[in-house]
Amino acid sequence: MADHLPQYHSARERGYLLCTDCEKLHSISQEGAHCDRCGARLHSRIPNSLSLSWASLLAAVLLFLPANLLPIMTFKSFGQGEPNTILGGILHLLEQDMLLIGLVVLIASIVVPVLKIIAMTILLCTVQFRLQTNLRQKTIMFRIVEWIGRWSMLDIFVIGILVALVQLGNIAHIEGNDGATAFAVVVLLTMFSALSFDTRLIWDNRKPDLPSGVSDKKDEQ
Amino acid sequence: MHGTPEQLIACHECDLLLERVASQPGEDVICPRCHARLYYTTNNCIERLLALSVAGLILFIPANLFPILSLQVFGQSQSEIILQSAMSLYEGGLPLVALLILLFAVVVPLFQLIALFYISFTLHYRWQGRLLRQAMHSYQHLRGWGMLEIFLLGVLISIIKLKDIADLDIGLGLYSLGALILVITLNSIFFNPHQIWHEIHQHRQQDNTDG
Repeated sequence: MADHLPQYHSARERGYLLCTDCEKLHSISQEGAHCDRCGARLHSRIPNSLSLSWASLLAAVLLFLPANLLPIMTFKSFGQGEPNTILGGILHLLEQDMLLIGLVVLIASIVVPVLKIIAMTILLCTVQFRLQTNLRQKTIMFRIVEWIGRWSMLDIFVIGILVALVQLGNIAHIEGNDGATAFAVVVLLTMFSALSFDTRLIWDNRKPDLPSGVSDKKDEQ
Repeated sequence: MHGTPEQLIACHECDLLLERVASQPGEDVICPRCHARLYYTTNNCIERLLALSVAGLILFIPANLFPILSLQVFGQSQSEIILQSAMSLYEGGLPLVALLILLFAVVVPLFQLIALFYISFTLHYRWQGRLLRQAMHSYQHLRGWGMLEIFLLGVLISIIKLKDIADLDIGLGLYSLGALILVITLNSIFFNPHQIWHEIHQHRQQDNTDG
């Protein structure tokens, strides 16, 4: 498809902009106007993408502490039982030899949010400091992060199900605690951070005349 | 690269400007720079979405009205529907978490099914469809916010956590939920935004010449 193209050019360099909703190509002079096919507002890049994405990410990092230090739920049976944090719940599962389920919760609640925060920091630094290496790998990383981030909501759903189900008065009783709110907001904020990030910014760093662009192209064929 | 905008296309992920090529059914057009899927052709896209959204709307009823799980301890029993996970958290003093569960597990999936039904029904039967563009925008922007499959995994984890301390019965709601998730997944596979926007464009032009 790219055979007859002398070089890679972005639509913006050539005076075009793409409608992000219906993907119709417009002239760049339409910036800020509405798409004549779908009615969405046209922007060559998501406005304030970098600031919005940084802000959500920083807020998520700050809330990550209370999310992990405060208890997320309390299980009480015959008056006994104490509040559990996320990590405490996972350790409890591992102690009871529920290895697989413990690992699933560990990955969804701790590994994925941490990796997502690291990945978003790398991506935002790439754009902020105009880094030009491994752009395709970074794009793939963003796709993975965007897809996997929502699975962190798992623990929140588990709390909801357990609290609704185990309401047997004195015999057994589960209640949710404030750590759950903090954790849910962390997941929400990391999703907003990925949502406001415009992947096209990664590729804007690239200067089309650099020799690296030519060698990259040969690699593909 | 001197063509009209109709002959050109830009990659939505890296903004690379490319010449449009024809795509055969079952064939994806891939961006040569960032490998994003640019566009593709789905056979009977509208008809498949119509059938699946009707099936989804029907399945939504038992999935939300019948109990997902019931639990028995010392003769006491407690059963649960999806909505109760949100309600009991609200009563337990966590309104924000309750609201998120309500949105992600009930409201967003229902709204997406309704939007999809409206889009496919209007396009298939050539109805007027004043809200077609709004319905498309809502569906596209809500993608990823419906989390029923994560809710289902949560149910499975709860079953494993509780199985040692209580007797659990799986309800009709859980089977309906499984089927509903299958239908919603198929919906998002067959949902082809390029093709549907093209159809909506033609639909609107036809309306304009008729009226």
